[in-house]
Amino acid sequence: MTTKITTAMFMALVINLGFAKGIGLTQGIMARESENDIWIATILSVLQGAVLMLITVWVIRRRPDMTILEQFDAIVGKWIGKVMALLAFVFFLGAYIAILITFVYHFMDYFLPEFPVWMFVLAAVAIPVYAVFHGLEVTARIAVLGVFSIVALNLLIMVGSLKDVELDRLLPVFETGFWNTVATTRHYDTDWAMATMTAGMILPLVNDTKSWAKGAVGGVLYGGILVLLWPILECGVLSAPQTGHYIVACMQMARSAQVGLFLHRYEMIMIAFFGISLLVQLMLLIFCASLAGSHVMGMKDYRGVVIPVSLILGGSGYFVVLNHNRAMSLLTNNWPVIALPIAIGLPLLGWLLGLMFKKKLAAAA
Amino acid sequence: MHKQWTIPFLLILCVFGLSGCTGAVDINDLAMVMAVGLDKGDTPGTVTVTAQIARPSDVVGQTGAPAAGTGEPIWTATATGRSIFEAIRNLGRYSSRRVYWGHNKVIVIGEDLARDEGINDVVDFFSRNHELRMRTWVVVTPDKASQIVATKTGLEVVPGNSIDKLFHFSDLVAEAPKIDLRTMQASYLSDGSEVVLPVVQTRLRGVSTDNPKEFGSTPQVELSGTAYFEKDKLKGTLNPDDTEGLMWFVDPPKTRVVVIPCSSSNPNQTATLEIRHYKFKVVPQYVQGRPAFRIQLNVECNLVELDCPTKQSHQQVMKALEASVEANLKKEISDAIEASKTNKVDFLGLGSRFQDRYPAEWQRIKSNWPELLSTAKVNIDVSAHIRSPVLLSTPTVPDSAGDR
Repeated sequence: MTTKITTAMFMALVINLGFAKGIGLTQGIMARESENDIWIATILSVLQGAVLMLITVWVIRRRPDMTILEQFDAIVGKWIGKVMALLAFVFFLGAYIAILITFVYHFMDYFLPEFPVWMFVLAAVAIPVYAVFHGLEVTARIAVLGVFSIVALNLLIMVGSLKDVELDRLLPVFETGFWNTVATTRHYDTDWAMATMTAGMILPLVNDTKSWAKGAVGGVLYGGILVLLWPILECGVLSAPQTGHYIVACMQMARSAQVGLFLHRYEMIMIAFFGISLLVQLMLLIFCASLAGSHVMGMKDYRGVVIPVSLILGGSGYFVVLNHNRAMSLLTNNWPVIALPIAIGLPLLGWLLGLMFKKKLAAAA
Repeated sequence: MHKQWTIPFLLILCVFGLSGCTGAVDINDLAMVMAVGLDKGDTPGTVTVTAQIARPSDVVGQTGAPAAGTGEPIWTATATGRSIFEAIRNLGRYSSRRVYWGHNKVIVIGEDLARDEGINDVVDFFSRNHELRMRTWVVVTPDKASQIVATKTGLEVVPGNSIDKLFHFSDLVAEAPKIDLRTMQASYLSDGSEVVLPVVQTRLRGVSTDNPKEFGSTPQVELSGTAYFEKDKLKGTLNPDDTEGLMWFVDPPKTRVVVIPCSSSNPNQTATLEIRHYKFKVVPQYVQGRPAFRIQLNVECNLVELDCPTKQSHQQVMKALEASVEANLKKEISDAIEASKTNKVDFLGLGSRFQDRYPAEWQRIKSNWPELLSTAKVNIDVSAHIRSPVLLSTPTVPDSAGDR
């Protein structure tokens, strides 16, 4: 783990992490709760994500050579550190399953309904594992490509949909209540949680410490802007009830897009761009899960656990995606309850412990 | 060690990736549906599906059969089932190819089915179908849907394409809203508006090439009028005149024609104006616990035809006609609102607009909306400006014509 990545690459990773699930499944879930306030919930959630990201950067900055788990080791000892690593592993396991649901339901439901599920899962495990073996830099480089893909995807959906936008459909605001809209942000918070948790694991691999905050928070904000287009279009073109009616709301947008008379049904092109971003998420989550796994096992090189970790992630994900109701219930009801306490709790605990045991942390080898 | 594992791993991966045939369907195994008709089945509780399927080898040319073709560009098949899905599966009894929906242009629903059985399963089935385009047009017909699906109209070789093209140019007459599957589903799921669908029917308007002297012997599909629904059941239809008023609310056309009398002595003499720009606004109000609406329409039009020879200047003529245009437009909007109020069906989507402006009040009154709508006060304010006489400097007047 000696190869370092640039801040721009890190920013690209953050942008990718908040995107793929955030534009489709998350918006559909949010629309079922707060109807046409999903775009406001998205903005609020991005701001929350930016604050959490800033806290994570502050925590890691105290010892820029240590991941958040290594800091826990240094402050509270190895065994409690292992518990923290286990919690982080649980988070990355859940996050991987959430992204696998996104991956499988996009490709299987809309493009390859006769394809067996296990082949999607195999692709979602084998390709990221290959990248993870080659280190973070490979994923980071693909993430830069992923950002261009996201921009291309957004341009394509805008060109095909803007003429159908009825801004009246974004009204009324806060129809389901302000606090309900705030509560709905928990779903998109789980997407940003992936970015903040990942930052806690990989920031030591980003070479320019001074630009961390700018890159991390900038990634959340730029990513947020790229995502925000989707709830606005989904409400403005489809309407909120229609967005909430579908499991994968963004695909409904994609197959409604049309440029002029002749260019329609270009969702195959859009899904290719989307797939790159999705792949980056899968790679990064296997990478971070492996880092957490190696920490639990007390191993120095994460590569030793990549295969077993990916088998656990892939196997659990396969079980979940087999049943649409189970998968959507997990994403809607269980995942925020599991993800947010870990994703908010770990950085806050790290920040608090670092403040209390400043000298111990500075002196740790 | 690392590289030793990488190559076998990649090779094993290729075994899965390059097998190439999972889920593959060759294009010549597909029966491409271009239009589908849904009628009430003969047995209660059944639905009859009529699929118009393109015969690709014969679609290329209309006159004469290509070498390997039959000369018929479409093949129409029908099947019945207890659900739409079952009926479509039953098409497999006759179709030598797998039915494919990706190119379907139009869904035609028979009035009987829409009135008696409702459209819930139509919305549900077609919105679940991943192959279907969300831009597929949805229409209602008083005829048999199977008849519409099989009728060749206009210049197109494939009837489904004909209906599709009718929609592309329907703005010119603006007598039917353009409703696709996406729009229909949005209205259907909304609690502030009811579904409206355009009406198509066959009319004997074509001239057969075999018998050119017999005018009006060939049926053509006409797109004109609107069907409105209450919940999922067809409640009634609007004639083309009432539809013109409805269009301002649900699908304002880019351009419209307004024909008004221009002579007080001869009502058959008319002036024709083409609306080029408009601003249409519905302002919901909540007055003393009751909903009310203020409707504002500002139009700019051109004078495109004047049947009244006059020695007045164009400026005078245009100024005089503006009041008539305003009255004409006000009447058509008023007629549409009256139709909605009388039938207690909110096909204009006024509830949805009220909800946008008064969400809290909407929650209180939405259960009683049809009743409140029928007594809601509506003020209509129309302002028309005729901007251009188009090309001509003075009205066309024969030498002998006097002042009129």
